Amino acid sequence: MPPKKTTNQKAAARVPRKRPATTDPYEIPEEDEIEPPKRRRHAATVAADTDDATVSTPSASRLKKTVATPIKLNGLNGIDTPSRKNNADRSARRKSARALVDRVISGAISDDEAEEGDIAREIYESSEDEEDEEDEEGEGENLNGETEPTTTPSKFAPGRKRKTTTTRTRKRSPTPPRDLPPHEQYFFQNKPGLSKTSNNTLSSLQLLTHDEYFSLSRDLSSANPHRTDITHLASLHVSSFPQWAFELSQSFSLCLYGYGSKRQILHKFATYLSSHPPCSLGQANKIVIINGYTPSITIRELLCSLASAVSSPTTTLPGILSYLTTHPKITLTILLNSVSSPYLRKGPFQSIISTLASHAQVYLCCTTDSPDFALLWDSAVGTNFQFLYHDCTTFCSYSPSELEVVDSVHELLGRKTRRVGGKEGVAFVLRSLPENAKSLFRLLVGEVLCADEGDGQGQGQGEEMSVEYRMVYNKAVEEFICSSEMAFRTLLKEFHDHQIITSHKDALGTELLSLPFGKEELEGILEELTT
Amino acid sequence: MNTFTRQRVLSTLLSNPRSFCLEIKMAEFDDTSLFQEDDHRVAYMFTAPPITTAATNTSPTTTTKSAPGRPAKRRRVSEKDTAAPLPAQEKDDEGRQWPRLFNGLESPSAADLRKKTYESAWPVLESEIESVLRDANRQTLEEVVEFLNSDVHECEGRGRVPAGFIITGPNIAGQDLLFSQLGDVLAELGEGRVRFVRLRAGEVGNLKGGLKRIVREGMGGQEGGGGEDGRMGGGGRRYLDYDLEALRMEMEGRGGGRVVVAFQDSEAFDTGLVGELVGLFHSWQDRIQFSVLFGIATSVELFQARLLKATARQLYGAQFDVVQANAVLESVIMAAVVGTKAQLRIGPGLLRKLVRRQQEQVAGVGAFVSSLKYAYMNHFYANPLSALLVDGQKLGKEILQPEHLEAVRMLESFKSHVEQSVEDGRLDHARLLLENDDYLKGRINRQAAKRQQYLGKLLQSLALVIATEHSKRSFVELYEAALEEGISLDQSPGPFDLGDAIKRSTPEELIGLIKRVMTVVVDGNPSLHWNGMGIGQDAEAAIDKFEALRADVERLIETSKKKKTSLKSKYSSQSRVLRTTVVAQKVQLSRDTATLTEEDNAFTAAIDDFFAFFKTLVGCEPLSNLFLNEVWQYDYHLPYEDVFVPRPGATFARALSRPHDYLGCACCDKANCSMVGTLPATSILYHLYSEAGASINVADLWAAYYALVGEDSEIGMDERSALVLFYRGLAEMRAMGFVKQSKKKADHIAKLKWL
Repeated sequence: MPPKKTTNQKAAARVPRKRPATTDPYEIPEEDEIEPPKRRRHAATVAADTDDATVSTPSASRLKKTVATPIKLNGLNGIDTPSRKNNADRSARRKSARALVDRVISGAISDDEAEEGDIAREIYESSEDEEDEEDEEGEGENLNGETEPTTTPSKFAPGRKRKTTTTRTRKRSPTPPRDLPPHEQYFFQNKPGLSKTSNNTLSSLQLLTHDEYFSLSRDLSSANPHRTDITHLASLHVSSFPQWAFELSQSFSLCLYGYGSKRQILHKFATYLSSHPPCSLGQANKIVIINGYTPSITIRELLCSLASAVSSPTTTLPGILSYLTTHPKITLTILLNSVSSPYLRKGPFQSIISTLASHAQVYLCCTTDSPDFALLWDSAVGTNFQFLYHDCTTFCSYSPSELEVVDSVHELLGRKTRRVGGKEGVAFVLRSLPENAKSLFRLLVGEVLCADEGDGQGQGQGEEMSVEYRMVYNKAVEEFICSSEMAFRTLLKEFHDHQIITSHKDALGTELLSLPFGKEELEGILEELTT
Repeated sequence: MNTFTRQRVLSTLLSNPRSFCLEIKMAEFDDTSLFQEDDHRVAYMFTAPPITTAATNTSPTTTTKSAPGRPAKRRRVSEKDTAAPLPAQEKDDEGRQWPRLFNGLESPSAADLRKKTYESAWPVLESEIESVLRDANRQTLEEVVEFLNSDVHECEGRGRVPAGFIITGPNIAGQDLLFSQLGDVLAELGEGRVRFVRLRAGEVGNLKGGLKRIVREGMGGQEGGGGEDGRMGGGGRRYLDYDLEALRMEMEGRGGGRVVVAFQDSEAFDTGLVGELVGLFHSWQDRIQFSVLFGIATSVELFQARLLKATARQLYGAQFDVVQANAVLESVIMAAVVGTKAQLRIGPGLLRKLVRRQQEQVAGVGAFVSSLKYAYMNHFYANPLSALLVDGQKLGKEILQPEHLEAVRMLESFKSHVEQSVEDGRLDHARLLLENDDYLKGRINRQAAKRQQYLGKLLQSLALVIATEHSKRSFVELYEAALEEGISLDQSPGPFDLGDAIKRSTPEELIGLIKRVMTVVVDGNPSLHWNGMGIGQDAEAAIDKFEALRADVERLIETSKKKKTSLKSKYSSQSRVLRTTVVAQKVQLSRDTATLTEEDNAFTAAIDDFFAFFKTLVGCEPLSNLFLNEVWQYDYHLPYEDVFVPRPGATFARALSRPHDYLGCACCDKANCSMVGTLPATSILYHLYSEAGASINVADLWAAYYALVGEDSEIGMDERSALVLFYRGLAEMRAMGFVKQSKKKADHIAKLKWL
């Protein structure tokens, strides 16, 4: 179907024909003096009222009105002041919109209502069309103001109007006009009411589970028709490694962007750098790869690994930098995956990385996966980075560590994402943990259940039972699960990471631990753990 | 554990990949390959695996059966040691040297020569630029330091905090350099008694954070970084780490001193925070001498309007202006682009682009310098002919390979030179150039001298043109025009259209002009590193000529003074007068040429003489007319634009809408911007996405996708596999920021990008 309005000329040519409206600019001021005509308002109100009226009435009543008032219309030049007309239309539109919404909410549609709905929708859309055209009207007038003489009142007749709207609705295509510039398209698509999408849902489709996804994707990746092309593309990037290395050695930082996972390229680049170090990278060049996409990335951990890489005694940023300055032979090459990952967008990550990159002995090459990365850096940070950007489109699919496909999609759809949930989840987590972690969890479950038994009746059912941190620790020490508080914390951290325990402080400041499971579930877990 | 199970374990634990790097768990993963294990770690030291493994082990699903999990890494290292490394020489070759050009036919010595030329060419400029930048800030620095040193005592009586407002302009990148210089200078002058604390809004969120920073840096940086809840003070007392008392004790221990706190980007700070800090400084003023500096991008008035009156009252301020970015840029260009120290000429097109970027985007001078550096890097790295830039003697004949000569013969300037020779009838010359390699080599060796000659003339002309002070254009514009169109004083209208202005000058102006021009001829222009015309015959002749002219004009002035007439030339505007006379009540208009006295005529002749001689000194050809200018001119926009001003949006859109551009695959060739089932899933989704409205029904999206690739289509993929790809595509779209969750309707997502 051809797009409704592609160019301005088209619209301009059409406007006067369909909508005579305020063609003569000299007439308008006069009108304000004359009593504003009632007709439009009537028609609009009637049209809006159709939700309550029977189906046939609106057209009939409208027709009557128009027939009754032609003279007046002629006298008034058949035009209303635009604002007045708009107001009327808008109220009609608002009402019809409400009607439509009501209908959608209530869901069930009787035949009558269906037809009413159609009318309401028509009003809604027609007024919207008018609005469109009004925007362009100015131009239309200027271009061919003379071509069409003013207004025949009948043009306003709803019958005619209905006709035009119906033809227009037919013209409306689900695909938007193609050649709009992006900003126009934004406004076009965000027009209220335009977002007409079907009511289909994915309910009939069985969503993928992780198991299915992984098992299928393994087969698919080997059957990818573009496999050789992707390898070829990667080889092209590999061929520019010497250039990149040269640029790095000239104290620029690199930023590789483009569609597709760049993790492997970066890894290969690391291999290249370690086997062919450019001369300005010292003999003692340390290469550290940072995976920005890991959700648990913290500044402390980042700095710790950097410090240990250059064997700096301090793990603070200034400490590392001054250590490097005093040891001019050590150079540090940081290869950073996904600099624009959501986890690196927060806090002072970017400024820390840029401060690092601005040091003469630190070389940085990072990759970015989203096209908006440039917004991450203000000019001060950007100056520190001294980036050279390279298009590094790879078309490689992201590894599961970089992109959690199934979770991400389910989150997008508003479905439940996988959490380690319930008995199975806990068992699953515990299976991968060492023995003492299991015993600790068993202890914890036991304690929580005991506490529940103890004053379970008093507490509200919804409340999660919690036990005191100190008490659990003492018991754990008694049972030789751990010997120090440090070890105990480490074990708990593991549970925290998997969200199988929660902790909070009460009003007195005592730390409390609790388990986010129901009583039955806890019993089940305990059973499983003890057997 | 087989691969499948491992995948499952992975998938379950992925929400917390960190657990993988915790040692406890490692034992559980028997055959996780190094590659995968590392993928989940936040950061790790890269140790090169054997090359073969790295090359093949690319897909996340392919695994190498290798050592058990935890020791895997160490195992690999040892494996690597045993594995045969690359031959040492090859390693060296590839690492230390630049790739050979001419498809690898270039001799290593030529590649080496290019590299050496680069390494000698750039650092000279870099230090030059650095000194220009330092000089630019010097005056401001001196003023600020003077203020901090002197006024402290004066206003101390009134108990106010001395405050320096440094107007840095909107470019916050430039502030960094200024403040770090300031820190250095203060540390140098204060001999350890001045503590300089720089605060940036991004790093200081609240009062406590700010105080912590001030105390920490005021006490000399990192000491006692470990103590979370307190630090040892002088008298064995513990202080909270945001207690200024600790700072006071420490400073007393060192015999007093001052603390200078600099708010680098004052506008970005929360006003309340600034007020609180200043209030604290004020109340501590009797114990610790605080001074504050504000880096201000807008104006002091605006900044003051934001402060509370009470706060403003506690400050005793002075305002300092930093040299504006434009002026700095111009001096950098003079030193590093135009000056004689620049080996490579940046072409007019690129230069214009760079300058425009400086003006349009508020990019610091640093950005310009980087671009310049990149131009040098590019030229020497990728242009094999850049080896010809070395002096003739060094450029031994063995360096020049047949490929070089062939490349030279392909040059635009070579072609036009030969064509020109043929037109001029120098057929032998043209033939020899084309056919005789030795002849061409000789010519090539002579071009270095010609280049010097050209540059000398160019700089001389420019310096003289500036010296006239008649040009309305900025220096950079003049330079661009000179490279592009050459310099010719006859061209009118043109950038070097000085004739009228010079001819119209009064005798006094002419004498001033002659003096200025003579200075330039003798001394050159220091900011261009051009040393004048030297001591050759030309220079002497020029000096004599100018001296004579000046004497003439002075004599004429004397004479006319005696005669009490004013000396003028026929060019001065008064010479022709429109005379209105009323004769018998009728107006008569008569054009009257003012009679010129003898002196006037002599003066006119002197002006003509001067201008004619001036013309012989000023003038040069456009750069592109010169033989072999490609060797030492760099004027390519594309690498610069790609590398410094990327258009990631367009890149992503192109990759997704026309994957064929990148993949070059046969299957998607015919697609040409439309949808075919063979496209990668994300690409298909992108096509559908760009057709969809602001809100997208995923069910419909899936239906549309499945219709393209599903069992009924040519691709014939089964539903579940298609769904896997669909999932992947959708997740990637989300990761790239194209869509987000929408709660408006069930199974709908919202569109986020319209570009």
